[in-house]
Formats: sequence, C-alpha cells, structure tokens
Amino acid sequence: MLYRSLTDCIAQTMDIYLCLKRPSWMVASKRMRTASNFQWLLSIFILLYLMNQVNSQKKEGPHDLKCVTNNLQVWDCSWKAPSGTSRGTNYEVCIENRSHSCYRLEKTNIKIPALSHGDYEIIINSLHDFGSSTSKFTLNEKNVSLIPDTPEILNLSADFSTSTLYLKWNDRGSVFPHHSNVIWEIKVLRKGSMELVKLVTHNTTLNGKDTLHHWSWASDMPLECAIHFVEIRCRIDSLHFSGRKEWSDWSPVKNISWTPDSQTKVFPQDKVILVGSDITFCCVSQEKVLSALIGHTNCPLIHLDGESVAIKIHNISVSASSGTNVVFTTEDNIFGTVVFAGYPPDTPQQLDCETHDLKEIICSWNPGRSTGLVGPRATIYTLYESFSGKYVRYKRDEAPTNESYQLFFQMLPNQQIYNFTLNAHNPLGQSESTILVNITEKVYPHTPTSFKVKDINSTAVTLSWHLPGNFAKINLLCQIEIKKSKSVQEQRNVTIKGVENSSYLVALDKLNPYTLYTLRIRCSTEAFWKWSKWSNKKQHLTTEAIPSKGPDTWREWSSDGKNLIIYWKPLPINEANGKILSYNVSCSSDEETQSLSEIPDPQHKAEIRLDKNDYIISVVAKNSVGSSPPSKIASMEIPNDDLEIEQVVGMGKGILLTWHYDPNMTCDYVIKWCNSSRLEPCLMDWRKVPSNSTETVIESDQFRPGVRYNFFLYGCRNQGYQLLRTIIGYVEELAPIVAPNFTVEDTSADSILVKWEDIPVEELRGFLRGYLFYFGKGERDTSKMRVLVSGHSDIKVKNITDMSQKTLRIADLQGKTSYHLVLRAYTDGGMGPEKSMYVVTKENSVGLIIAILIPVAVAVIVGVVTSILCYRKREWIKETFYPDIPNPENCKALQFQKSVCEGSNALKTLEMNPCTPNNVEVLETRSAFPKIEDTEIISPVAERPEDRSDAEPENHVVVSYCPPIIEEEIPNPAADEAGGAAQVIYIDVQSMYQPQAKPEEEQENNPVGGAGYKPQMHLPINSTVEDIAAEEDLDKTVGYRPQANVNTWNLVSPDSPRSIDSNSEIVSFGSPCSINSRQFLIPPKDEDSPKSNGGGWSFTNFFQNKSND
Amino acid sequence: MDLRAGDSWGMLACLCTVLWHLPAVPALNRTGDLGPGPSIQKTYDLTRYLEHQLRSLAGTYLNYLGPPFNEPDFNPPRLGAETLPRATVDLEVWRSLNDKLRLTQNYEAYSHLLCYLRGLNRQAATAELRRSLAHFCTSLQGLLGSIAGVMAALGYPLPQPLPGTEPTWTPGPAHSDFLQKMDDFWLLKELQTWLWRSAKDFNRLKKKMQPPAAAVTLHLGAHGF
Repeated sequence: MLYRSLTDCIAQTMDIYLCLKRPSWMVASKRMRTASNFQWLLSIFILLYLMNQVNSQKKEGPHDLKCVTNNLQVWDCSWKAPSGTSRGTNYEVCIENRSHSCYRLEKTNIKIPALSHGDYEIIINSLHDFGSSTSKFTLNEKNVSLIPDTPEILNLSADFSTSTLYLKWNDRGSVFPHHSNVIWEIKVLRKGSMELVKLVTHNTTLNGKDTLHHWSWASDMPLECAIHFVEIRCRIDSLHFSGRKEWSDWSPVKNISWTPDSQTKVFPQDKVILVGSDITFCCVSQEKVLSALIGHTNCPLIHLDGESVAIKIHNISVSASSGTNVVFTTEDNIFGTVVFAGYPPDTPQQLDCETHDLKEIICSWNPGRSTGLVGPRATIYTLYESFSGKYVRYKRDEAPTNESYQLFFQMLPNQQIYNFTLNAHNPLGQSESTILVNITEKVYPHTPTSFKVKDINSTAVTLSWHLPGNFAKINLLCQIEIKKSKSVQEQRNVTIKGVENSSYLVALDKLNPYTLYTLRIRCSTEAFWKWSKWSNKKQHLTTEAIPSKGPDTWREWSSDGKNLIIYWKPLPINEANGKILSYNVSCSSDEETQSLSEIPDPQHKAEIRLDKNDYIISVVAKNSVGSSPPSKIASMEIPNDDLEIEQVVGMGKGILLTWHYDPNMTCDYVIKWCNSSRLEPCLMDWRKVPSNSTETVIESDQFRPGVRYNFFLYGCRNQGYQLLRTIIGYVEELAPIVAPNFTVEDTSADSILVKWEDIPVEELRGFLRGYLFYFGKGERDTSKMRVLVSGHSDIKVKNITDMSQKTLRIADLQGKTSYHLVLRAYTDGGMGPEKSMYVVTKENSVGLIIAILIPVAVAVIVGVVTSILCYRKREWIKETFYPDIPNPENCKALQFQKSVCEGSNALKTLEMNPCTPNNVEVLETRSAFPKIEDTEIISPVAERPEDRSDAEPENHVVVSYCPPIIEEEIPNPAADEAGGAAQVIYIDVQSMYQPQAKPEEEQENNPVGGAGYKPQMHLPINSTVEDIAAEEDLDKTVGYRPQANVNTWNLVSPDSPRSIDSNSEIVSFGSPCSINSRQFLIPPKDEDSPKSNGGGWSFTNFFQNKSND
Repeated sequence: MDLRAGDSWGMLACLCTVLWHLPAVPALNRTGDLGPGPSIQKTYDLTRYLEHQLRSLAGTYLNYLGPPFNEPDFNPPRLGAETLPRATVDLEVWRSLNDKLRLTQNYEAYSHLLCYLRGLNRQAATAELRRSLAHFCTSLQGLLGSIAGVMAALGYPLPQPLPGTEPTWTPGPAHSDFLQKMDDFWLLKELQTWLWRSAKDFNRLKKKMQPPAAAVTLHLGAHGF
C-alpha cells in the first residue's frame, strides 16, 4: 500500500521533476547549504528523494531472475519486470557464452534448455515505450532450483483385515534424462482432526520411465476405527544437477474410511498376535461407550471420532485356549472381540525318523515351546520329502501335551535316502527342521513273534520267528539269548538275510544234550540302530545223547573180606546226557566174569561176592539212547605196613592234603573219607586225583566243623590200590562240648589225687591239646567259686599237656580245708566247659595233738601254782574277801522295815530308816472339764458322761506307797504344788475307757504327755508334752492315758508283737502299774489323727463299727 | 469316565429313580396299566438330574470361555442367539398351554438345543470339555427320548421337523469368536431355563395325570430325593 501511494505521488509530481532537471547530487549539495526553514527543507527533501527514486527506476531493467526446473532439461527462468512497464513490453533475452542466442518475448519468463555447467551471462533487455532498460544476470546451474512436479496418488486402498494401507503413485520418471534418486515423503493422518500418525520417507530411483510405486503401512490401530488420510511429496536427488533440490508440493490428500453398518463393531476381530506385543482395539459405536475390559482388566478409553473409542494393550500375555476376551460396554449393550495371543511355532526339536518294517517311516519330534494357540490356530506340521516331493500333514486340534508328535510317511520303492523337512506353521509364523536319513540304517524292527524251537539233534535246534517288514534287501542281525540255568547265560549273534515274507529260520548248535534251555531273540539290522524288544521266552529241552563218561567208581572190601562193594557216583548232568535209567556192573578176572546188569538208577552201590582178590570191575551207565563207556577199577588192595596216622586241620571249608610224588603210582590217586565215628567199612565220599598231582583240597558240603573225619589216600598201580596214608582231621576245630569227667581218688591232709577220663571224640570236637586244672581254697556257694577261673591270686593253675596223663596229685595243701577243683579240656578251637568239685582235705593229727596238749599243760601248771599260793595266803584271803557276816535276824530295825514294805496297815514306830509314807489321793473331778464330742465315736463311755461323773468318786482309791529310795528330784515345780507327792492312779479294767478329767491348771502345767511309764519317780501327769498331737489329745480327752505312745498304735494291731517292738523306747516294763500288759483293751482314742481318719481299715474304725452295730 | 462327586450324586439319584420306577416299567409290571404317570415322573426326575448335571458343565464351560462369561453377574443382551428356542414365556400363556402343545414345545426345544450342543462339542478345544459335553448330550438325548415316550403314551404324535429348518451347526467365519462365545453362553442359559421350565411342565402334567390314590405314593417318592 505504501508503495502504491508512493507511486501515485510520484506521478503527480512528475512535472516538478521535469522542471528541476538537475543532477541529484547538485540537489543534495544545495540542500546542504540551505537550512533556514526546516519545513521547507523537509518538503524539498522528500520531493527530491522521490524524484531520485523515479529517476533510478527509469534507469533499472528486469530484475530478480530466478530459474527453476522440474525435469532437468528445461529451465524455467522468470524475472520481475521493471516498474512502470506495461503489458506491451517486450524482452530480449540473450544468453552469452553460448552461441549468442537471443530470444524476444513478451512474457517475463522464458524456458530455456538446460545449460551445461559454468556461468552464463543473461542479458535481458526490456523494450518499452519510453525506452529500454537492460539487466545483466549471471546464471549458473547452482542458482537453479530443482522442484519436481507435485506427485499425485494414483490409488489408496486398505486391507482392513490386516489394518494395512496400500498406496500407489507414479514417479513420472520419463521426463528425467538421468537416473536419479527420489526421496518420497509420505504422511499418514488419522481422525477428522487429521492427527499425524506417520511420516515416512521412501526412496526410489528414476530410471527414465514412468514407474508405479507401491507403499504399504500397517496401522497399529485397525483402519476401521477412524478415517485415515495420506499425502505424498518428493525431492529428486540427481547427481547430475548441482543446483538446489527442493521438495515438491504435497499431493492432494486421499483418505480411507470404513463405512460402518448399523451394528456397533469392535476391531480387530479374532486376531492372532504375538505374546508381548502391543495392540489397539477400538469400538466403532454410535452409543457412548462406558468401559472397556480385557480379561478382568479395565482399560482407559481413547476417544476417536464420534462415540468411537479405542484401548491400547501393551505387552499382551498369552491367551487361554479360548482366547482373551475384549469387551466394550455401552449403556445397554456389550460388544466384544477375542484376541489370541500366542507364539509362533518353536523349531521342532529332536526330529528323528526311523522305520519298523521298511515300509513306513515314522518321524517323531518334540514340538518345543507351546504356542498357546489351539483349534483352528494350532500349529500345522508338514513333513516334506524333497527327493520325492511328497509330503504328509499333521494337525492336532487339542491342547498340546508334552508327548512327542509323530507322522507316518509311506516309504517309496527304491529310495533309501530321504531328506525330510518338517515345517511347523501357525498364524504367527513358521519354523522348520530338516533331517537326512538313510532309512536302512534306521531300522527299529518290531518285536519278533511266533518264536518257535525245533530239535535237529541232541546238540542243535532250529529257531524260527516272524518279523514283519520288508527286509529283503538288507541283512538282519539277531541276538539269541540262551539261558541254561538261572545263572548261566549266553548270547549269540547271528546275521541272516532279510526276506520278504517275514519268516526267519536259523540253526542253533553247540548245545548240550538233555538240557533245558530258555531261549529268546531280538533283532536289528546289520547297520545297527536299535535292538527290537525281546521276543517271548521259549523253554526247550534238548534230546538225550549217550552218556559221555562212565561213572566215577570206587570199591571197598567188606569187613569179612569176601564181598566187594562197588560204589559209583551218579553222572553229572552234563555227562549223563539224559536221564540215567540203569547201571551195569561187571567184575572180570582172567578166568571168569561176573556181572550185575540193569541196576536201577537211584542205586549207586553193588555188592559182589568174589572168590579172589584180583578183578577188574567195570561200571556202565545207561540212558534211553545208549550206554556210557565203561569206567574200570581194580579190586585188589596192595598192603602197606608202613602207615602212621596223621593229623590235619582244614581251612574252614576244606582240608588240604599233600603227598610226595611217587613214580610208581601209574594211574590216579584216590582220597576217600568218612566220619571217624562210623564203623568200618565207612565211606562218605571219594575223590580221584590225577597221578601227577601231589596235593588236593578236599571240600564237601557234608563237612561240618568239629567233626572228625578219616581220610585215606590210595595210590593206584596197575594191579590195584595201595593205602598210602591215613589221616584224621577236622575241617575246623571247635572247643570241647563237655568237661572231662574227673574224680578225687585220694585225699590226705596236704594233697589230693585227681583222676579224669578221656572225652569221647564226638564231644571233643578237635584235637585235644591239654587240660587246665584250677584249684584253690573255696567252699561251695561262695562267690569265690565264680572267680576261680578268672585269675584269682589264690587260684593255682596247672596246664596238663601230656595227653597220656590221667591223674594229678596236688600237694602242699592245708589240712581240713575245703578246696575247689576245676578241670577243663581245650583244643585249638577253644576251651571246653569246666567241671568243678569241692574237696575238704583231711585233718593233720599231729598238729591236733599238739594243739590239745599244750593248753592242758599250761592250765595244769597255772592251777597248781595258784593252789599253792592260795594255800599259803589263805588267812589273808579270808579277811579280805570273806569276812564274818552278822546274822540279820538279830536286827530289829530290819524287821520293822520289812513289815512296812509289806504294806501292812499296822504302822509301827519308825526307828532306823526314815520312811515317809506318801498318800495317793484321787483328785476331785472338775465339773467344767471340756466336753469331748469325739468320744461319741470312740468310746462307748462317752455316751454316758453323767454316769461317769457319778462313778468317778467310787473309783478313787488312796494307796500308800513307799518307794525304797527317792533320789531323783522332781523337775516340775507344779508337781510340788500338787501336793509334793507322786500320785499313782489305779484304775480297773472296766473303767479303762473312761477318760479321766484333769484340772485345767494341771493340763497347762503338765506338758508331759503319757509317754511311757515312769515308775515310782514321775507321775504321768507330770510328763512334758513333746508334740502337738499329744497336746491336742490332752485338750480333747483329758484324763488318763496309757503311758505308751498311743499314736503308734493306730495302724498296728495292739496284740501284734511289732506294736511293742516299735515302741521300745517308751515301753513300760512289767510293773503292776503298767498298762502295757493290757493295752489291747484300750482303743486308740486319737480319732482326729490323720492316720485313723485316712479311710484305712484301721483297728479303730473296725472297733467303732462293731460298737455301732 | 471322569465322575466328580456331584456327578456321583446325580448318578445315584438317577439310579434310585430307575429302581423306584422299575415296578412301573410295563414289561416288568403286567398287573395293571398305570397310564403315563410313571413315565412323566421319570421324565421329571431326569429333568432334575439334567439340571444338576448342567450346573457343573456350565461352570466348566464358562470358565473355558473366560471372563466376563464366567462372572456371576454377566448378563449380555441376546445378540446372535435368536435362533435358539426361547424358554421364557408369559405365565398366562404357559398356563393356557394344553398338554400336547406343552410336550411338543419341550420336544422341539430339546431337539434344537441338542443339535446346538453337539456343535458346541465339536469346537471345544480341550478333550476334557469334549467328554463332559458328550456326556451331557447323551443325557439330553435320553430326556428327548423320555419326552417322546410320554407323548406316545398320551397318544400325541411327535412333531415332524420341517425340511430345511433342521438347525445345523455352521462352523466358519460367519460368526466372530466373540459372538460365538455369546451364543454358547446363551445356549447354556437357555438350556438351564428350559430344564427349569420342563420341570414345572412335567410337575404340572404329573399332578394332572395322577389318580388320586396314587398321589400319596408318588409324593413320597418325590420326597426321596
């Protein structure tokens, strides 16, 4: 606007400017000089400035030359026309540095072919009415901008199922002469408010042709959820162009939207996604959505256009088998979808292929990690064989388990090598495993069936079995397990050619005749892969053969030497080769032959009467097939006088016998043995040893430790057997089982002669090595006897190792002393039991005589000396020890005293001895003595207390009593107060139960309880109380109490002896005043005593019960 | 067969029912014709047993469908389940139904429901669920036969399915999984309602058919459970 007003102003003042046609610099200098009137000068200044401006415009040509290109071939250069030019202005554009080409044109722009590198001078001359103006520009390619034409989207489409946008456009590359890179910028906008969702650059190349380009984009939000817009622009990055490369304008916007039908929908539907990924669900709704749930989880709503909402789930977890439910809730409806989050199939693991029958290949594998997808989304496995191009497919609808998967592939004829590819595929991806197998090396045959055994001969059988499969082209390796007994087991491998009909037959030899075999078979192929399972076991008994050897034979002459007893051993099963039915025995000499035939099997002994001594005996065993070779033995015994009985002890189980080599022994050695306790001829067993042997270990299950055996070693010569050695032995020695029986033959004062007997061999149980004889002082039933053997210092031991010694004299003993004798035998096996005996030695007579005579002699001498002395001093003795004694009858005083003591009432004059008569007085019963309630149950007397009080005075008896001497002081002053005299209360038996009342003062002053009788010195009432129980007794039953401790009577029957013994300290002694003698009459009155109340069956209770009854 | 404790009780109830009604089986009891009463009782008992059986099946199946279907207060609108026979009916209308119509409606409903149920079985993903569904289908088939027996005893003809209207299970993308789950939910719900309604139907029929003397016996019999 300012510029326009200024132009108007210039036009109005054009005349002034023409009048003042001066150079501008002059005006300026003049203005410098004139400053008188400021306003005037300012006006002049403005005017001049404007004129200057107009003038300069008149001089300026076209300006602001700007060149752009959109195809690098033509430059479109434009400039700004000089001001004031009208429409009719022509321009002459000349480009220097080129062949001076000039163009005349009326526009302010010109399209010129692209110039090559370098500066070009562009002269634009504008020709107009009032003149011309020329402008020069320097033009270089660098000043040219490359702005491509605005691209146009040919097509924008969408795949709603995958939420993918597809964009298609043309790069119009044909207009560009060179190959150039093009950078496309694509913008995706969402919702009506066009929020930018994605801005991507996409690079392509121009190749001189118009090319269609495609771009696709998967939206994180389902495309149905909101409208999506796309626009595009580009920039060409040409290497051949050095000018500025600028973005084209944005293309016109294209959009994609989903036209919702009437129903509200939730998107995406039934989508399968990878666990852990993010997903957006939206609900396209016309109603207001209140909430959204995935599983149990509430999700925040993202508002889209209208009422539509979306939720975004991050890191989704694996779904249950029926998928994860996503539910949107509106006011009165719910909408939802199910999403299946799982994994792509794991690479099949442990893929392995094998065949059972070369007809069908079984490929098995482990599926690996569970995909979490089942049903229609479960993994589909395809087993593809690349050589044949065949495949099999496997799909499991059920939820996967841990078991391995299997696919069966039919084998192709004439194909051995298989290249399997197992492809696992589910909606989230696929994986594969491959395996190349030579199937003939992967044969795991079925279990052989119909396994049968048939005899060929006694040592060979044929085995036949059925093995399904087409093994015609390979060899089978089969293993036969041959079990003879429980322990003996053999395995033989056989290679057989495979057949088509699956039946196989093989011979099995080197078996033993008449042996029960347990056979089974399993097979593999020669190129071993796996053994089949074992077939069923088959038991088979091979047929019999003739016995391979004759029986082991021995002979013994009967004790009378007339009969020969022939023994033989049953053949072992491996030599019998069948069931032995009978034996034939023949004895042949030069002249005759005797034979016993068909001796049935269990009999292994025959007796033949022979006239001579020199026979050859042969024994033959027979089974159903035939006879064994005869075993021969000579009957003759070659005598040997030079024999000693040796002893040998074995090594636990057996006995080692050795002998010297004897070249005379041409055949074998025979050792026979028997139990030594048996009578001859005795034979337990024998053993033959080759003639070159010099030792053997005899072992037998029959050997028992502690049993003595006789061994006889025979050497065999041509004509017969000679006994070489006789040995007795034990396989193991034990201690004797009995003690030697011994007796005392003779006893003297200082010695004992002991004799013992031999222990029988059976009880000795070993070779006797000696006896141990113990002896020592001791009597029967003392503990010393026990320790006799165990090394007591007093015990003497004699070890008798001389077996022939049967007696022993023990000397240096003491006379008339009991000795304990013990004898025991021992072997190397240990000590036998002991036998003991007690013997008393005889008295020593000389000693006895001396012992008697010496004291008698001493006594006689002492007697004689004493008599002599007494006789000499008889007067002195009489004076000292036996003076004259006056006759007491002559003493009157004594007569008087006697009468007093006799209790005569006629008291005479007291003359010689002071004798103060004491009065015994019955005290008056106190009227207020405490009532004894308890007595109701104790004493029948208590029932009549009034009677008692009446009866009391009658019972009072005053007795005069004169103790002979009163030496002891009465300790209690209370007793003095009571009259200074001891009192005795005599009561009769009938009144025993009546408690005697006592003055209260006396109770207090007489703490002494009735603890026993105090004869003639203290009255019972003066005794001191010693325990609380007694005090209580006093309180309750004041009166007379027996002087014994009543408490002790409670539990013990009064008439039992213990009742007296236990009270020995307080028992009274036989005084006529003692109540001890009649205490059984007095019931214990201490009823409150815990003992009597204790519920026990006390005497008191019994008594009371009786009285109640 | 996997029988839970609940099943055992149901089986026991069923067994007891059968034993109780053994004398009522015509082949065994030729002393006199008792009419349709015993077979109605049997059908009633079977209905109660199926109610019990469905309770455990529905628990399993709704857990399989996942939340919110297994939530106790879930009550979605009946969107795609329009083809399922509706059990709910106006009380007055129900009262005014005659025996034939009542039985016919029951028969038709269970025919349809059984067919849908078999479809349900086909798409269940776990073997255990399939076994439970198959077991229930067998029981429901028994109920259908039982209703047919009652109708025959009363002399009513069995409804003939119109050709082409036989409900068929159409697997495939016609339904989304979610709508399918909704249908399954409604199928189980309708089954439950139908069993409940049938129990009332047969109870009503039973009372109607009982001779006055036999009422005591049957009443006692019903108390046995």
